[in-house]
Amino acid sequence: MNEKRAAAYRASVTVGLVLAVLTILEYFAAIYLHSTVVLFLLALFKAVAVLNYFMHVSRLWRTEEGH
Amino acid sequence: MSAVAEQIAAHGVAHGADTHDVHDTHDAKEQLRNNRLGLWLFFVSEAFLFGGLLATRFYLWGETRPPVDQIVGLIVTSVLLVSSLSMKLAETAMENGDRRTFSIGMIVTAILGMVFLFGVMIFEWGIFPSIYKAHETPWDNVYGAVVFAMTGMHALHVISGVIFILIVWNLGRKGHFSSDSHWGVESCAIYWHYVDLVWIFFYPALYLIGTPVH
Repeated sequence: MNEKRAAAYRASVTVGLVLAVLTILEYFAAIYLHSTVVLFLLALFKAVAVLNYFMHVSRLWRTEEGH
Repeated sequence: MSAVAEQIAAHGVAHGADTHDVHDTHDAKEQLRNNRLGLWLFFVSEAFLFGGLLATRFYLWGETRPPVDQIVGLIVTSVLLVSSLSMKLAETAMENGDRRTFSIGMIVTAILGMVFLFGVMIFEWGIFPSIYKAHETPWDNVYGAVVFAMTGMHALHVISGVIFILIVWNLGRKGHFSSDSHWGVESCAIYWHYVDLVWIFFYPALYLIGTPVH
């Protein structure tokens, strides 16, 4: 496997792990904190991660090589 | 034709071919930009739909929520999260010309999508009461109605997403995509991540926020 591809896979898995940790935090925050604001902030962090790293929203305004 | 004229003509043809290639590449990039913009505009319109459902939840439920099963909620959310990861790996694979990983990633994503769907249908809707009896029905009260409206609308997008994945997987299997040209894969992946994005907000709204009423 070439290095560029391996790095891309690693980045995806890292973001996935971050999302998993945030989900677990969300679950325990709901049980112990009962704060709507905290829960929505955690949801917002997850949403930003998905939008930026999985959905690559920045490609909308970035000029790059076409595919 | 003289030798000089032939050279000039050959240069003209070559230059014309170069200009034509540059123009084609420019058109392809322009098309890709337009495709992306169109897809995101669609997402904006969908955001109004799902946003409306979220607003309805908070208006009708306030600081309360139905007694949903937390373990079910956590499991289906985790399944959808993992499916987003497998979809990202599939898309990355196609970007790097790794067709085998692309194919496996797409199939895994479709399977996880179906697991999520059946998880919601069996353990939230209670379509098989002999396996699991649901807490609410759509006609019980505002809790049942909103749960079914939100999860139902989301489920429709999951079903269409799985169909989209299978179509793209099949086209990929036949060699329709390449590392240089795979808008179908990119659009399918972004659509699937959007389904996950909606659930990122629906999960706390349905399962975590508010005091359970009995």
